[in-house]
Amino acid sequence: MPKRPSLLAYAISRLLLAFPMLLILLTVVFAVLRILPGDPIAALYGGRAPADVVAAARERLGLNKPVWEQYVIYLRQIFTGDFGTSLGEIYRGNSVWATVMLKLPATVELAAGGMIVASVVGIGMGVLGGVNRDRPIDVAVRLYGTIVWVIPIFWLGLMLQLIFAVALGWLPPSLRYSSNVDRPPTVTGLLTLDGLLEGNLGHVWVALQHLILPSLTLGLVLSGFFTKTVRANLLRTVSSDFVEAARARGLRWRTVVYRYAFKNALIPVVTILGLQFAILFAGAVLTERTFSWDGMGTLLLDSIESKDYTMIQGTVVIYAFIIIVISVIVDIINGLIDPRVRY
Amino acid sequence: MVGATKRADEITWQSLLEPRSFLGRFLHPMIQKRRTLAGILSWVGLGLLVSFILIALLAPLIAPYDPIQINVNEVNKPPSAAHWMGTDYLGRDLFSRVLWGARTSLLIMVVGVVIALAIGFPLGLFSGYRGGRIDRVLVLIMDSVYAFPGLLLAALVAVILGKGVFNIGLAITVIYVPLYYRVTRNQTLAIKEELYIEAARALGAKPRTIMWSYIAYNVLVSIPVIFSLSAADAILTAAGLSFLGLGLERPLPDWGLDLSDAQQFLDNGIWWTSVFPGFMIILLTVGLSFLGEGLNDLVNPLLQKERV
Repeated sequence: MPKRPSLLAYAISRLLLAFPMLLILLTVVFAVLRILPGDPIAALYGGRAPADVVAAARERLGLNKPVWEQYVIYLRQIFTGDFGTSLGEIYRGNSVWATVMLKLPATVELAAGGMIVASVVGIGMGVLGGVNRDRPIDVAVRLYGTIVWVIPIFWLGLMLQLIFAVALGWLPPSLRYSSNVDRPPTVTGLLTLDGLLEGNLGHVWVALQHLILPSLTLGLVLSGFFTKTVRANLLRTVSSDFVEAARARGLRWRTVVYRYAFKNALIPVVTILGLQFAILFAGAVLTERTFSWDGMGTLLLDSIESKDYTMIQGTVVIYAFIIIVISVIVDIINGLIDPRVRY
Repeated sequence: MVGATKRADEITWQSLLEPRSFLGRFLHPMIQKRRTLAGILSWVGLGLLVSFILIALLAPLIAPYDPIQINVNEVNKPPSAAHWMGTDYLGRDLFSRVLWGARTSLLIMVVGVVIALAIGFPLGLFSGYRGGRIDRVLVLIMDSVYAFPGLLLAALVAVILGKGVFNIGLAITVIYVPLYYRVTRNQTLAIKEELYIEAARALGAKPRTIMWSYIAYNVLVSIPVIFSLSAADAILTAAGLSFLGLGLERPLPDWGLDLSDAQQFLDNGIWWTSVFPGFMIILLTVGLSFLGEGLNDLVNPLLQKERV
């Protein structure tokens, strides 16, 4: 039998592969922002600034240098953690890095909420469908998986606002926190966690109330994919040899499904979690706009609107970092729980 | 030979519907298995898609009002006999806007997905057939782009290109080029090992002939499924971009723009301006994904579902 590659070797090879991937993404961002038609400086001043002001700004940003030299400077700045300062109206002069880090916790909180909703609903529905194969309930689950996946995220958000905030008045329609309640002291930036650390359950409750609708919006749309994958995995596992063997030994169907098949059917869910992060971040941008949620997505949109060129670049680069780090982590976890992956 | 081209006078309606022809490969299972779930899904999906195409083409004839006509006396009126879906904050008839919006959505979708196919397909074919270092580099590039949130990338390109239907279509191609590339490349890898390719090579066929006359057609057969699924996704992305204010210029009738306007009036309980444009998006995307998934189940029962 061939020797199984060690987890460490696998992790290292995965990390090494992440590096070119990061470089490619950085290059794509560079290419989109500088090589495509359109001049960031002209856009910044709306074409109304005098020629010498524009020339000075180009000089300052190094845009008068040849493209390859700009590329080298760009990479050097990013790898030394120098993301520059904002050029836009809202954050002019602020450090790009500090501004993004200020907004990041809101997005993390929303993404975590969305993931929890997606996993719980998706796994629940998927198992329900898989266990009741080809019965009406399974058809309903399959339709749910297909339809919920193509609902525009922002529209679902608007509908939830309309029902639970405007019509019923149960939950706040938008924002992360009530303006008339003190915020918990900032430790992590995640308002629910900060409230817990403070030991003030009232604050936690206020933060949670604001988090519910955005998390549901993001999570329900993502749950479609979970539902389908869990169902398909469960069906595949149920028809495998070890399940048949367990049945042959006389175990009850229910025991076989929940004790044996269930665990194996959930392994690929980790992989989906990884695949879904890119979609999660895209969905989070739309959810943030719908709920006036002050996170990274809102920051990106604001900087796009104010033509804040350095802030756009910084935000997108940090998005790329996060996505690659998550994909590496997910792959390593996958290697840990499923040794077959390591080959 | 399946991929052999026919002379123009040989092509009749009959020949188009033969089981082995391109359309026939999809239509035959759709007709034969029309009572299965997959068959029903594909017919419902096709029906929805065709209705939307008709709405888009006939919008000037069936819309009761001018979709951009402002009417200050009819601002934010709920649905009534005169205005079936009510009016928006400028007094424009929502039903007419929603019908015309089908035009905008379908146009963006077609531009985006067709250009993506035109780039991704030949690239995937070349990369898969050729193999080697070029293939590995292309795979790495495409996978990296694919891993990045599509909407963000499209938003970035949209900002640079500026607003407009064609520009938005172009912006969303960045999401789907990697998708078509991957599907085409993987299919090419599988097909190039087939015996008849080996035979063609043994007979002295040039690589270009093998690629375009023997492999391309057989890869193309797996495209319609991916095409309709990515079209559904493209419509969602385009609507998302215009909801975010990155896509189109007011007063163009567009579902995403209308939803973006509707958001401001939600607190006043004005529900119709946000409900109906959303319904239209969902009906069209549901139609496309029913068609895609139905065809997938009918045509490749063994194929792993590649979800966008």
